[in-house]
Amino acid sequence: MLLVSLLLHLLVPILYYSPLFPKKAIKKPPVYRVNLVNKIVKNPQAGRPEATVAKKKPKVKKKPKVKPKPIPVKPKAKPKVKPKPKPKPKPKPKVVKPKVKPKSKPVVKPEPTKPKVSKAQENTLAKRLKELREKKQRESAEQARKEKLAALKAAAVAESEKVDSPISDAPVGMVDGKGDEAGVRATAFVQEFIQQQWSFSKYQAVGTPEAEVKLFYNAEGTLLHYRFVKKSGHEIFDESLARAIAKSKQLSQPLPEAMEFDIFFNLKDMLDKP
Amino acid sequence: MKLLRVKLLLLFVVLLVPSLSLAARIEISAPGEQTIPLALTRLLPMGVGGSQPAIAREFLQVLEGDLELSGLFDLVDPASFMGDADKLGLRRTEIDFYQWRMLGAEALIKGGYRRDGDRLTIELRLYDVITQRLLSGRRYAGKAKAVRKIAHTFADQILKSLTGEKGPFATKIAYISKRSGNKELYMMDVDGHQPVRLTNHRSIVLNPDFSPNRKELIFTSYRNDNPDLFRKEVYTGRESRVSLKPGLNIGGRYSPDGREIALTLSKDKNSEIYLIGTDGTIHRRLTNHYGIDVDPSWSPRGDKIAFVSDRRGNPNVFIVDVRSRDVTRLTYEGKYNATPAWSPKGDRIAFSRLDEGVFNIFTIRPDGTDERQVTFGDGSKEHPRWSPDGRFLVYSLDRRGSGKSIWVMRADGTGARQISPLGENDSHPAWSDRW
Amino acid sequence: MQKITITRLVVMLFVLTLLASGCAKKAVQEEGTNDTTTQTQEVQEQQPADVSDTSVVDNSAYDAAAAARAAERAAAQGLVQIHFDFDQYVLTDDAKSTLVGNAGLLRAAPAVKVLIEGHCDERGSDEYNLALGEKRALATKNYLVSLGVAAERLAIISYGEEKPVDPAHTKEAWAKNRRADFKVKR
Repeated sequence: MLLVSLLLHLLVPILYYSPLFPKKAIKKPPVYRVNLVNKIVKNPQAGRPEATVAKKKPKVKKKPKVKPKPIPVKPKAKPKVKPKPKPKPKPKPKVVKPKVKPKSKPVVKPEPTKPKVSKAQENTLAKRLKELREKKQRESAEQARKEKLAALKAAAVAESEKVDSPISDAPVGMVDGKGDEAGVRATAFVQEFIQQQWSFSKYQAVGTPEAEVKLFYNAEGTLLHYRFVKKSGHEIFDESLARAIAKSKQLSQPLPEAMEFDIFFNLKDMLDKP
Repeated sequence: MKLLRVKLLLLFVVLLVPSLSLAARIEISAPGEQTIPLALTRLLPMGVGGSQPAIAREFLQVLEGDLELSGLFDLVDPASFMGDADKLGLRRTEIDFYQWRMLGAEALIKGGYRRDGDRLTIELRLYDVITQRLLSGRRYAGKAKAVRKIAHTFADQILKSLTGEKGPFATKIAYISKRSGNKELYMMDVDGHQPVRLTNHRSIVLNPDFSPNRKELIFTSYRNDNPDLFRKEVYTGRESRVSLKPGLNIGGRYSPDGREIALTLSKDKNSEIYLIGTDGTIHRRLTNHYGIDVDPSWSPRGDKIAFVSDRRGNPNVFIVDVRSRDVTRLTYEGKYNATPAWSPKGDRIAFSRLDEGVFNIFTIRPDGTDERQVTFGDGSKEHPRWSPDGRFLVYSLDRRGSGKSIWVMRADGTGARQISPLGENDSHPAWSDRW
Repeated sequence: MQKITITRLVVMLFVLTLLASGCAKKAVQEEGTNDTTTQTQEVQEQQPADVSDTSVVDNSAYDAAAAARAAERAAAQGLVQIHFDFDQYVLTDDAKSTLVGNAGLLRAAPAVKVLIEGHCDERGSDEYNLALGEKRALATKNYLVSLGVAAERLAIISYGEEKPVDPAHTKEAWAKNRRADFKVKR
């Protein structure tokens, strides 16, 4: 009896490490980048989440919060999805496109909810006058920025063409998709979206922090509330997550339904393991 | 048999439970942005002193250099800054965070300065743009020429706020330079600015080390026709010979508590590692082997010393336990491993390896595992020494033809930059503790 | 670099010629060293101070004892440097036969004290080379002692890679720099 029990216990790790059970089946599915332009659907078809809708068939979106110029993404590239969102003009008369430095990739999401600051800023006449004055100066800066952006975009396109990825003409869907809708699964989308909002440097890391956060979104993709199920205990790390969540208050696509996400944050793919 | 069935059942439950959870589970195993987008604005004049663009420019340049070296940040292009960058408002309520957020910045540095005769005041704020929280607020006052020091000190503070540990930018680097024609001891800022000569021996000065708790250095000099160990107080200039045994008195390294010095003596007709007091009296002999034993480097706890020995044929790094004097071998790869430097956190030992006529810097765990090459390419890189926080390494690079100069890089080998000019043959850097 | 060295050598030779012509006794000794090869010139380059000192002393003293001392010193300056293999302090056969000659000179001039300098090429780490240079100097001293030179007359010092005779980064330069030099002590 004891022997059988022992054998059974032994069997588990043996099975675990045996080639019979490929590792990905147990924990980590292969990571596919998600192009955040793609619609979130309930039953995605077979396809690639990083693919983009062909240009000939411009899809009319009901609520286009973002109109990014889709840039095909290299499948092998690390986290480098670079949608160029065009911020939806909100409270201010003139919103400048985010400036993107060659090395920096600040993915700025439009801010549909009115931030506190804009409220405070909205009013005073003096401010408006000043803004008018600044507008001119900004416009010239904007021009320069546009040129830089165009150059950047061209470079990115050129680069992606070099790679000659199979993605560009693949149908939009999930690799394991069995449904019939052209789009991506909500979990994949939210994972990509929040990951892109998350800034953290390996030079900030201490140990191997892990945290778990629950987020509740309504069907419009608006964050209703969230809570830390488990903090990492590494204050800087936890603060970076709070920032990422604050930046994810509004998803750029609606969800098929109100959803709850249980997100595990860690640095497994950033910290180099010996 | 029943127990067996229960176990099988348990196994299944354990395997299935995660997928039964109600919430959609997501794992995010790396941040999408691996640098922090930081907006660094230009200092603006405060109050009456008027505009002093030179101060603002120098401050910005120093701070930017430090922040870039840290590798933490991605600086938002100042050309894209909007109106808020030109407003002095330093208080939370005065800042238009929305603008900064539009630019993708997550952290923001704003500041002002006031020059009053020779007196300079600089006020600085580091904000979290997303949560609109003040991360660090500092006011520095000093003489006008202290701009660089203020910038370095604030850079240290920024790293403290964003990583939990202070930066090493307001410290000093000692080194040996031949710019006067002889090898003499010099000291400079971490960015290579403000070099000052500390010795005038007109002989050969070698291999300095900073005291961990006093503004003083030890080094070897041939001034008295023997390689003796000297001590020099940086600010008083007072100098004395610490160890003047016949033969070598070289490679002196203060213990972490500053009370002892490990060094190589050859008074017994062979080089051995010794511990001496700061008055030069011999405390202990640590090695006993007919081979060459040189280049001691203390573990931060002071219980072990890494050193170089050819006792197994070629020069390799070994570790001696200070109490038991047991010696273990650290490096096995390569044919020539030298100049070990134990990191201040104790987790790694840097050393240089000679391969095909060129030295490169490697780091390894003290248990001999996880060896990594951190420098590549042209020229010989030698004498690695750690910054007091363990983030950076300083070393000398010898590009034949153009001579040696001092370089600094991150401990992982990225971000290397030259900090001392070519043509003066600068070598043997040592990084001070908090200065 | 090479060019400067050559220029320096030419200047040195010129100076030496002048010194030699100013002192007949010296000139004879000088010839004795000159036919040993170019290495000797490099040694002289390393010790210009010694050379000029010698001539001053010679001019100011006329008594027999001083003359004898001068002869001894001059003889000692016939000491020939020896060379080593990379990362080695074991004496080569060439080095040993050179040292036999040096030992003869030293035995003939029993009042002369000599400083043996151990040197290395620029490869290798500085500290290690200081220790290696010392081993070279010590091996040289021990061999001379075994050949009958009194140990008290021989002091050693290591300069590691600090004093190359040829600053070039070539095999030839390295070979020249891995050496033990002999300096007569005053």
